[in-house]
Amino acid sequence: MADEKYASEYGQHLVDQVMKGKMTRRQLLVRASVFGLSVTAAGQLLAACGGDSEESASPAASAIPDPVMGGTIKMIGPAPITDPDPVTIYDQGGIVLVYQFLEYLIDLNNDNSLRGTLAETWTPNETVDVWTFNLRQGVTFNDGSPFEAEDVVTSIERVLDPDNGSGALSQLNGVLSPGGVKAVDAATVEFTLDKPFADFPYMVSSGNYNTAILPRSYKGDIIKNPVGTGPFMLDKYVTKQKATFTKNPNYWGKDDKGNQLPYLDGMEYIMVEDNSAQNLQLQSGAIDLQPQTVFQGAQALFADPNLRVDIYPGTGIREVAFNVDKEPWKDNPKLRQAVAYCLDREAINKALYDGRSNLGYDTFWEPSVFAGAPESTPRAQDYEKAKALLSEAGYPDGLEIELTFAKYLENPQYAQLIQEQCKPAGITVKLNQLSYEAYYAGDDADYYGTTPWINAPMTITEWGSRPAPGIYAAAMLLPDAVWSSSHWDNADFVSAFDEYESTVDEASRMELATTLSQTQQDETPILLSFYITQLRTQKKNVFGVGGPGSFYCDMSRAFMTA
Amino acid sequence: MLRLIGRRLLLMVPTLILASILIFALAEVLPGDVGRSILGPYATQEQVELLNERLGADRPIYVRYAAWAGGFVTGDWGESLLLKVPVFPTVMKALGNSLVLAGFALVLIVPTSVLLGVFSGLRRDSALDRTITVSTLSMTVIPEFVSGVVLLYVFAVWLKVLPVTAMPPDGSPFVSRFYYLILPAIPLMFLELGYIARMARVGTVQVLAMPYIRTAVLKGLPRRRVIFGHVLRNAMVPTVTVIGSQVGWLIGGLVVIETLFVYPGIGKLMVDAAQTHDLPMLEAAVLMVAILYMLSNLIADIVVALLNPRIRAGG
Repeated sequence: MADEKYASEYGQHLVDQVMKGKMTRRQLLVRASVFGLSVTAAGQLLAACGGDSEESASPAASAIPDPVMGGTIKMIGPAPITDPDPVTIYDQGGIVLVYQFLEYLIDLNNDNSLRGTLAETWTPNETVDVWTFNLRQGVTFNDGSPFEAEDVVTSIERVLDPDNGSGALSQLNGVLSPGGVKAVDAATVEFTLDKPFADFPYMVSSGNYNTAILPRSYKGDIIKNPVGTGPFMLDKYVTKQKATFTKNPNYWGKDDKGNQLPYLDGMEYIMVEDNSAQNLQLQSGAIDLQPQTVFQGAQALFADPNLRVDIYPGTGIREVAFNVDKEPWKDNPKLRQAVAYCLDREAINKALYDGRSNLGYDTFWEPSVFAGAPESTPRAQDYEKAKALLSEAGYPDGLEIELTFAKYLENPQYAQLIQEQCKPAGITVKLNQLSYEAYYAGDDADYYGTTPWINAPMTITEWGSRPAPGIYAAAMLLPDAVWSSSHWDNADFVSAFDEYESTVDEASRMELATTLSQTQQDETPILLSFYITQLRTQKKNVFGVGGPGSFYCDMSRAFMTA
Repeated sequence: MLRLIGRRLLLMVPTLILASILIFALAEVLPGDVGRSILGPYATQEQVELLNERLGADRPIYVRYAAWAGGFVTGDWGESLLLKVPVFPTVMKALGNSLVLAGFALVLIVPTSVLLGVFSGLRRDSALDRTITVSTLSMTVIPEFVSGVVLLYVFAVWLKVLPVTAMPPDGSPFVSRFYYLILPAIPLMFLELGYIARMARVGTVQVLAMPYIRTAVLKGLPRRRVIFGHVLRNAMVPTVTVIGSQVGWLIGGLVVIETLFVYPGIGKLMVDAAQTHDLPMLEAAVLMVAILYMLSNLIADIVVALLNPRIRAGG
């Protein structure tokens, strides 16, 4: 459908949903962003809904002073594990590094809504299996070459090529195949999908970090030739130690008042692996910004009078998966639910995150985390119910189960909490702690068939933020999902999910989301006790750092006051 | 003496060959593979296999070892499989950093611990002896991570009198490095003081009990001459041997200190290379540390031989 007609019809549809009380204004903004409506258009829709304007999702919006030009910021984080090739990076260090001088078609706002960066608008066809992206004009790479549709085509096709080893291939599996990207003209790119997928824009956003847009001439030598369209340029890179950036004088971005971005003259990224060491450097005043602060050990940062810890509504999880191909979880949803009702989620949240994360109830469609999700059914600790379910599941006297996890982040503490909370119901949880390397290791000949994180009977796996419930579900709950630790294969869920992703009608999507959420809770292939809010720590004179926590660190509008 | 040195140097060759074979063999049993380390847990099996094939990581272990050994002895140390940087300058730079830290730590540790140990031995069973022994041994059991964090917090964060990292800014004069190494060296002092002081004390006590010391005293030699001319010289024999054996750890074993103080030394380089199956980097780093370890023991033995003519004559 033509852009303007589409925008008009879809926009009216969203307004109708708000007026009928089936959607909040926040949900309207998020859905509008997914379907490529401009900020101006979304604002007009909100005005059409009437009522007061909503608060910004930014935690510090009301206290941000006017930007100051100049200065150099020192930020701290882990070193890239490998040579930071954007096509294959998968770790925080690599992602934060390349994010400073490369860009994506679409970026994530702090509330996980979408914002056009190298793409200005994007629209689906009526069957939601062809997406057309209109590219931003007047953008050049920092070597002076123009940014055009061909660069998008080669960048996305590069990650789709199995020979290049990109993790994005697994994410796009079943949605986009090699050859599915076409340059219509120099300013327009068309994606022909394998199947309808309404959340496709998320898959070419910064949320899919391997889809950074590189020049068509890119040959895998990013450090020697750090060519990108981003606000900064990579000046110097010392492996495992630091990287320095200078501002890109020809950056296309300007702020609302027409000032050239970025505000900063430069940045230094200091690479430090250990979280304690990072926190000490922050407290000493040697560092200005820590893009991602880990909860554990961060208490001193909250109390430091010179630092400000911003809290973002993150969507990271610690998935507790029941491998439904293995006993005792096979064909036994009641047993899985029994474990779910043993958990005191508030106590877990308090113990692991000092109560700062959002509670989860074993469904990805959690409205407190993903705007647009229907209400979920809360689950509180209920040992009577757990014991009744155990009895119905064929274990009236309880049973012993094994929980496998990596000694990483707060996984060991979470495992211990699960063990303690299951005991009163008669469930004995044997803890099988592995090193991080062993948890993710596997036989050379058949990695996904042997690695513990996919094959152990019950596992805890940490997942970084994903911007939408559909992205999570596609990654781990569908039968063809490579990363499914639960091996769940539910025909009703799959059918509803395919419908959910093939429609843009918000009323239908809400109904289908309700069905998906209920099915996921009823079957409980995985436990989701919480969604981890993200922390970012900076000196009190640092402002404007964007991105919804986790790996994302948008410095284009960052600045420091005196 | 020259025969001793020559024999020891020759023995280093088969030792290094054996060490290099052991590293290859041990890396084989570590979980994971280099292709998976490079591409991460989300890449497909096919992608990882293709990369392993490209890197030659799927060849038999003896083929890979021969290829690596051939390059190593001809000076071609190759490139890091993960970091895509040349191995030789990376290892040498890290090794140089570790040597600077080890050297500085030894300058602080050795005189302090020897003095404390000898003093303690001369005042055997006194209150001072007991105080020195108990306090130095107590410091030895404090893990370097704990003492390091406390020191950093007190001196770098709270009092702000010492820097929070162990490396000065780019372009700083070399001598400024020692100011930045003060804090990282202190946990090392805690760990080594007790051990070396104890050896010095034991050596002193043993020598003081020797008949020739009684003879020297009865001959009327001044106490100072007895101590410096006879006691110290002979008490240092076991102490020097212990110091020599600790040098290897001070160069290659400081992973915790390097991590906490953000110091780009060889210990962390080795651990990262081992965890990611980066064999060219791991082999080069381990062999360099092994060479230095053997050389430090050889130097310690030479010093002992110089101190003790009987050993020299028998060598």
